[in-house]
Amino acid sequence: MTENSGGFHTIVCLKVVPRPEEVVVDPQTKTLDRAKARSLVNPPDLNALEMALELKEICGGSVSILSMGPPFFEPYLRLAMSLGADRAYLLSDRTFGGADTLATTYTLAKGIQKIGKWDLALCGEESSDGATAQVPPGLAEWLDAAQVTYAFQMAPADQGRMRVRREVKGGWEELMVSLPAVVSVKGNVNEPRFIDFDRRRWALNDSPVTVWSAADIGAQADLIGFPGSPTTVAGVRQVGGRERRKQFLEGTPEEIARELARLLKTQAGSR
Amino acid sequence: MSGPASGNGPVSLDDARWQEVLEATNGDAWPCYQCGTCTAVCPWGRVREEPLNVRKIIRAAQLGVEEDGGMLWLCTSCGACETRCPRGVPIVRVLRALRSLAWKKRQVPKGLPSVLWGLYQDGNPYRLPPSARSDWAKSLEVRRFQAGDEMLLYLGCTASYDRRMQKIARALVRLLREAGVSFGTLGDDEPCCGEAAMALGHAAYAAEIAEANARLFAAKKVRALVAISPHCYDMFLNHTPRLEAGFKTLHYTQVLAELLKAGRLSFKGSVPKRVAFHDPCYLGRRNGEYEAPREVLRHIPGVDLTELAECRENALCCGAGGGRMFLETPAAERFSRLRVRQAGEAGAQILAAACPFCIACLEDSANQIEAGPAVMDVAELALEALGAPAPAPGTAVQGGRQGG
Amino acid sequence: MADSLYGAEQARGVWVWLEHDGQALAGVSLELLAKGRELADKAGEPLTGFILGHEAGSLAEEALSRGVDEILLGDNPLLKNYTTDLYCAAAAEAVLKHKPNLLLLGATPDGRDLAGRLAVRLRTGLTADCTNMEMKPEDPSLLLSEVTGFGGGIAAIIACLRHRPQMATVRPGVFLAALSAKKSGAELRRFSPSLEGVPRRVEIVKRSIGAEVDITKSKFLVIGGRGIRGDFGLLRELAGLVGAEIGASRVAVDEGWIGKEHMVGQTGFVTRPKVALICGVSGALQFTVGVASAETVVAINLDRSAPIFESADYCVAQDLFKVLPPLIKELRNSK
Repeated sequence: MTENSGGFHTIVCLKVVPRPEEVVVDPQTKTLDRAKARSLVNPPDLNALEMALELKEICGGSVSILSMGPPFFEPYLRLAMSLGADRAYLLSDRTFGGADTLATTYTLAKGIQKIGKWDLALCGEESSDGATAQVPPGLAEWLDAAQVTYAFQMAPADQGRMRVRREVKGGWEELMVSLPAVVSVKGNVNEPRFIDFDRRRWALNDSPVTVWSAADIGAQADLIGFPGSPTTVAGVRQVGGRERRKQFLEGTPEEIARELARLLKTQAGSR
Repeated sequence: MSGPASGNGPVSLDDARWQEVLEATNGDAWPCYQCGTCTAVCPWGRVREEPLNVRKIIRAAQLGVEEDGGMLWLCTSCGACETRCPRGVPIVRVLRALRSLAWKKRQVPKGLPSVLWGLYQDGNPYRLPPSARSDWAKSLEVRRFQAGDEMLLYLGCTASYDRRMQKIARALVRLLREAGVSFGTLGDDEPCCGEAAMALGHAAYAAEIAEANARLFAAKKVRALVAISPHCYDMFLNHTPRLEAGFKTLHYTQVLAELLKAGRLSFKGSVPKRVAFHDPCYLGRRNGEYEAPREVLRHIPGVDLTELAECRENALCCGAGGGRMFLETPAAERFSRLRVRQAGEAGAQILAAACPFCIACLEDSANQIEAGPAVMDVAELALEALGAPAPAPGTAVQGGRQGG
Repeated sequence: MADSLYGAEQARGVWVWLEHDGQALAGVSLELLAKGRELADKAGEPLTGFILGHEAGSLAEEALSRGVDEILLGDNPLLKNYTTDLYCAAAAEAVLKHKPNLLLLGATPDGRDLAGRLAVRLRTGLTADCTNMEMKPEDPSLLLSEVTGFGGGIAAIIACLRHRPQMATVRPGVFLAALSAKKSGAELRRFSPSLEGVPRRVEIVKRSIGAEVDITKSKFLVIGGRGIRGDFGLLRELAGLVGAEIGASRVAVDEGWIGKEHMVGQTGFVTRPKVALICGVSGALQFTVGVASAETVVAINLDRSAPIFESADYCVAQDLFKVLPPLIKELRNSK
């Protein structure tokens, strides 16, 4: 097992999500049927990992992967290691199921505390299945660490600080951030490197994946999973698929213009 | 560190790099005696101030020094240089090996890792949902391949997803049905052939895809596979291992030519047009098939078949091979521009090709000039030659597009 | 189950966090005030606009005329620009003192940055990026929020039963910013957050707010191709009216009609706008992958058989030079 032996330590939080177009609502139970959907690594998480690996090239140290989910996540953690991460931790326990943001961030924070020394925790800006973008700030709060969301550029600075550029409304701002810090990385800010095939054999067979249960990380039962989640899903419904309508608008240019004006306003929402 | 081979400065040699290059290229660069024919015949010299200096790249490979930057990624693997090389150097293979080393160092142009991620996660280089792969066939009721079928129709990613190229796939389905061929497809489970990985020089990944495909075809008991794209055809013919009984790889023009010869297919309609055929590199120069597409065109009543100034072994590439399909080429530097001009000079009303990549490039360039030729795939011309459309369910060649 | 820091029985009032840049209130905050008014009336509770900043008195005055019952203004020099630690501390102090039932924020970069942290500090539930909200008819103090996930394909109704405040964020443009009159008796209340001891772990070094072209972030794209024949004038005029960015097909970039930073497609940018209005683009695959994630695609092309119509929700098979001028007129008239 690769020990976390000093040096700059980045933890990348990674989630496995179902392919959005393959998730359907079960007409009977009105719940999400993910069973038939294939999975992939949440795309912005790969951008976060790429940023971590680029920082590792500058600062040295090591990169750990942290995820919360069922055992089938493991191959995806190994995929991350074939890209360049050094080790992975999977928080896996039946009692973690049904977690909303509050319970998820608590659990991940307990995982990070159990890992021990860390400098930077990177997350993708949001997950494609939840799209809440609220995990990174929540995680930072549990850890009592600095937070930066929507980062698109990072570089090491003096005295244990990082220089980070983040997106704000209508532009960006540059921040000096004291470590340790939780940073969420914008999607598409970089191009994730492709699998390193020389590394892959090690990643698939010999790389260290540590699986921890709720007891292992000392999680409090009333703060995890369903019991730890203040929000509940009161209902679910499908709202149209990915197929385009292909509806032709006919009439004189003026009639079409009127209809288009109406459509554009309703589809784009008011500003 | 080794210095670049270009410029007049001293060249520093690096034993480790030399060893690495030698292993990657398997010594293929050795026979080269630097005559420079390759550089002279490379089509890039006709569209760029600075040609693709193939000779220099090969020299750098012999010495094991760093070749300078992005030139490596210009190669369309058209093979024009190889056919003229007096020493028989497998030049494209050497360039791919060098690309392979560039992947290890992560010195690849922007956008290419995403292409490979597309293959890995979505099974196609366009990053489109795998569950939409067989949407092109929705109105056609094309069934799944079953053991005992005469052939597996292999669509490939471009004919599956590109709305324009889907027309070729639909035309082919009509033609095969007309000839009474028993065939099926793999539907949404059809894998990518891996040619993009091969052409972009990621040898390890291409080999992995090829092996998985060989296993899949063996399990499905595929005896013959017919490919639409010459790129898939080349991948299955030359780079995919054969397991157990193996399978026969055909390009669809070969199948159509065979069906016409056997009298299983005949053309009742006519296409009274002057037609020139553009030889796709992966069909012609790379695999020696020049006749089959011409055979099909000759069978079409009314077609006045003419030749482009550069044809067969001398054909000019469209510019999309070697992974160039996934890289940007300025409009003025596209080979397809020259090719479309040649069609005009030959007086062709229709420029025919038998490759989705060629069609995409040629059509794009034909649209950019006044009164350019119509660009059509051989399968589309053959469909037109069938005459009156057959009854449903094979009628929806235009797709579900309707006014109203 | 662990409890929030105060319970439903103590909670009262609908709060909207009013985001601003020192000059003007954010559009999404005005939208939330309009929606908040509606929710407050249903619940029979007061509506409060909550502002943090420094010398933001005139903004507070402006917000007073937006149908609120009160504006709560937290003023401190340290709050001049948004930073997480200080804003979170000030917000938590105010919330714990006044115990609102609802707290709504805009799903902007700063709004989400604050909401995610504040919710954990208050140990309460947060529903992000709501596409609709209503008070439960049988229990008008309970908020039901609709969220979409999975590329917009699935909507879920989320409720936060026991924890307070019920927090939610909403993206800009979801609700209308109705012009509501000043309510009689609406008052401005000030407080001074005590920010001593709050760690300042993040320091702003530089800010750049302006017009950088980034079509990947645009919510509305007007895209031109070969068919516009080199003239982006009409498209720009239209884009200006609806706050859209300009996109272009490869052909338009090739021809030198517009810069490459506008190029949509496989070798350009993959975009994900709410609406893409595509004019005179034939629709090759290399282009359409760049708008595959758009929520709604409208295409105008003279050729009824153009492949672009296979990738469009609304198709107009007409001369764009005949359709765009009356469309621009319509949009201008309805402003």
